[in-house]
Amino acid sequence: MIEAVHIGKSFYLSPENKGRFASVRTLFSREQREVKAVDDISFSIGEGEFVGYIGPNGAGKSTTIKMLSGILHPSRGEIRIGGYSPQKDRIQVASRIGVVFGQRTQLWWDLPVKDSFEILQAMYKIDSRTYRRSMELYQELLDMREFLDTPVRKLSLGQRMRADLAAALLHDPPVLFLDEPTIGLDVVAKTRIRAFLKEVNETQKKTILLTTHDMDDIEQLCKRIIVINHGKKMMDTTLDDMRRQIGLPSLIQVEYRQPPSLGAELAGIERLELSGNVLSVHFDKGKISSPRILAEVAGWGEPLDIQMKEPGIEEIIRLMYR
Amino acid sequence: MVYWRIIRKSYRRNLQYRLSHLINNVASSIFGLVFIAIWMGVLRGKAVHGPYDAETMACYIAICQSVLWVTTFMSPGLNVQVGVRSGAVSLDMIKPVHYLWYTLSQEFGRLLYNACYRSLPIGLLLGLAVGFSFPSDPLAYLLFLLSLLLAAYVGMLLFYLVGISSFWTTEVRWLHLILLSLVFGFGGQMIPVDLMPGVLGQLAPFLPFAAMIYYPVMNWLELAPVYSIGVQLLWAVILTVVALAVTKQARRKLEIQGG
Amino acid sequence: MLYRKLIAASLRSQMQYKMNFITSAATTGMIMVLDFVILSAILHRFNDVAGWNIYEVGMLYGISSASVSLYRLFAPEVNDFEKYVVHGEFDQMLIRPVSPLLLLLTRNLDLSRIGGIVQGVAVLVLSLAGLAREGADLLWLIVFSPIAIFSGGVIYFSMALSSAALSFWTHQMRDILTFTIYAPANASNYPISLYPGWLKWLFFTALPIAYMNYLPMLALLGKGGGWYYPLLAPVAAATALFLALTFWKIGIRHYHSTGS
Repeated sequence: MIEAVHIGKSFYLSPENKGRFASVRTLFSREQREVKAVDDISFSIGEGEFVGYIGPNGAGKSTTIKMLSGILHPSRGEIRIGGYSPQKDRIQVASRIGVVFGQRTQLWWDLPVKDSFEILQAMYKIDSRTYRRSMELYQELLDMREFLDTPVRKLSLGQRMRADLAAALLHDPPVLFLDEPTIGLDVVAKTRIRAFLKEVNETQKKTILLTTHDMDDIEQLCKRIIVINHGKKMMDTTLDDMRRQIGLPSLIQVEYRQPPSLGAELAGIERLELSGNVLSVHFDKGKISSPRILAEVAGWGEPLDIQMKEPGIEEIIRLMYR
Repeated sequence: MVYWRIIRKSYRRNLQYRLSHLINNVASSIFGLVFIAIWMGVLRGKAVHGPYDAETMACYIAICQSVLWVTTFMSPGLNVQVGVRSGAVSLDMIKPVHYLWYTLSQEFGRLLYNACYRSLPIGLLLGLAVGFSFPSDPLAYLLFLLSLLLAAYVGMLLFYLVGISSFWTTEVRWLHLILLSLVFGFGGQMIPVDLMPGVLGQLAPFLPFAAMIYYPVMNWLELAPVYSIGVQLLWAVILTVVALAVTKQARRKLEIQGG
Repeated sequence: MLYRKLIAASLRSQMQYKMNFITSAATTGMIMVLDFVILSAILHRFNDVAGWNIYEVGMLYGISSASVSLYRLFAPEVNDFEKYVVHGEFDQMLIRPVSPLLLLLTRNLDLSRIGGIVQGVAVLVLSLAGLAREGADLLWLIVFSPIAIFSGGVIYFSMALSSAALSFWTHQMRDILTFTIYAPANASNYPISLYPGWLKWLFFTALPIAYMNYLPMLALLGKGGGWYYPLLAPVAAATALFLALTFWKIGIRHYHSTGS
């Protein structure tokens, strides 16, 4: 469904000049520095797959999504979405994909949600029967009836994200690109959105590519993970394989009243870091559960504050190269 | 002194844009040339009206375009409404400096920058096109400087009043446009105030708008009426009193209502 | 059909701010009246400009003013295009199955510009009345005026679109607009013969405002010039539009390469 063959994207920046007439020199300078935002990535995603696309900031995730959706043209390589090229057949690809950018809304800011949907219906030439059916389905799944008539600018982040998802799916595209859809949402909202995405993927066989920094998203939704860094593909594997290779890294931070006395090492704890009164417990969620850890560390001193953190992608990448 | 530091910082902040501004100066000069050409067309082959022959008129327009950057092309509302909208104004108001002087200092730094990187180049460009006209009397330079400073001050206060109205209204954009129209219309940008017909011609020299454009230009040309500085001073005082009063009201509103 | 829906949507979203709409329309009207008062003051004092009397200048002014306002009524997002390129909002225009230009044009209408159109037409009507009193034949002037305004609108739109296309490379547009819209808009209120040679040349080529009012009025007011001058207005408009659209497409292709 989604084919990327040796795609690359280079940007050419003028180097920063220093000195008296720096800005004038930059204007006339022909020197350019090549920055490879994406450096030779290939992958093939079949219909109905749910793939997580992860990497640290600046790894090239957004650039890849922009190339897949036709916003940017790759410097090298080829892309095919359902057989069409986003560069050459932009309009055909546009009607076959749905895109959600977590940071920005696609809807008309001052209008009620319903109005945005009606505009999209006209734009994507959706016939009334399909439109009604989609509206009913997504209203149900996303519980949108309460805010259908509210202007988009008055929605909470969670409501807006739901509306954006419905809008992206209104024209029934076979492919969905989601760029950080759960960013900034509270746990309840995240759960609801994840349930929706799972349903849409399993029931309607939609192909979904998801970029995220939230490992829980990955864990609950994606069966396959592609990890990229510095514009290159680092890993392309299933979730289970990744678990087997590097485990599911997790982190609990405990702040004690006084420096704790560490107890026995438990299987599953990767390492312990003690800084003053704060103990960081890096462990593998696959090998030992959080409640078990909590029970242990509570006995090592007098806990004042406990935080569960998901270590960043950086940690995962670090673990990959241990 | 803290205000001097604010002015310096503001000046420096504007420096980074100087390349694009220098290019933009060429565009502004074209505007000036268009106006001058229009006047040349109007005056061609006509009797001299008052002190304005073609050359003087050209100089008038040229100096106007230059002076505008110090007295009229300021940040809309002095950006007060930006702080109000974002809520940052509450932080600004509890700083240990008076909000009015704080805001004016910020803008004044920008005006100093404009004087160097906008007014001067544009004045130069237009002077090359239509000829230069310098005051003959050293006293005239001082008078001009005083007039210019007063003009900038009056302008800042007017812009400030527009901006601070945002405490009570939501959009200052239209108020700002109205102010600009009044300044351009009655300030002497397009037609010297003393050439305006009828009632307009009698009222305009005493409005604050003339204080912003007409008087400094006329002082440079050594053609200013005797009372020019007086009118400017009068408006400076009046507007200062008004601005202080309104600022106090605004602060009170903030304290009562919060953000 | 789609165009209508999109326009209706943008109108509806503006109506959300009813108070704002009223004040903005009123203010624009007031500003334009002030603008014209100044012009009248000058002409009243000086009787004519380079051989054009007040009514003849009024014809130029009316067409020019209405044309610019027409452009700004329908294409405010092109005028404000800088924010799309600088803040990456243009991406959104590229994922829809419609042309980005159509989306841009339907996103917003600046209704306050209706004030400008009214003002331009009013000036035109007053000037026509004045000319009639002087004994001029009004038929062709009246027939031509709407053509002139429409052509002028298209010409301004083309200049703005080209400026927007340029911003794909320069990443800023507001300064360019001073050159391409604001200065010409002022200049076209008066006879082009006023301006120095190189500026005149500009107004006949890269910034083709001479064709919308000056050249046609030369012919129609009996000041010389060929009978075909009025026909040049729509021709110039079509040419300018074609060139602008081509440049715009090139700009989009550049954006596909470099992003925001």
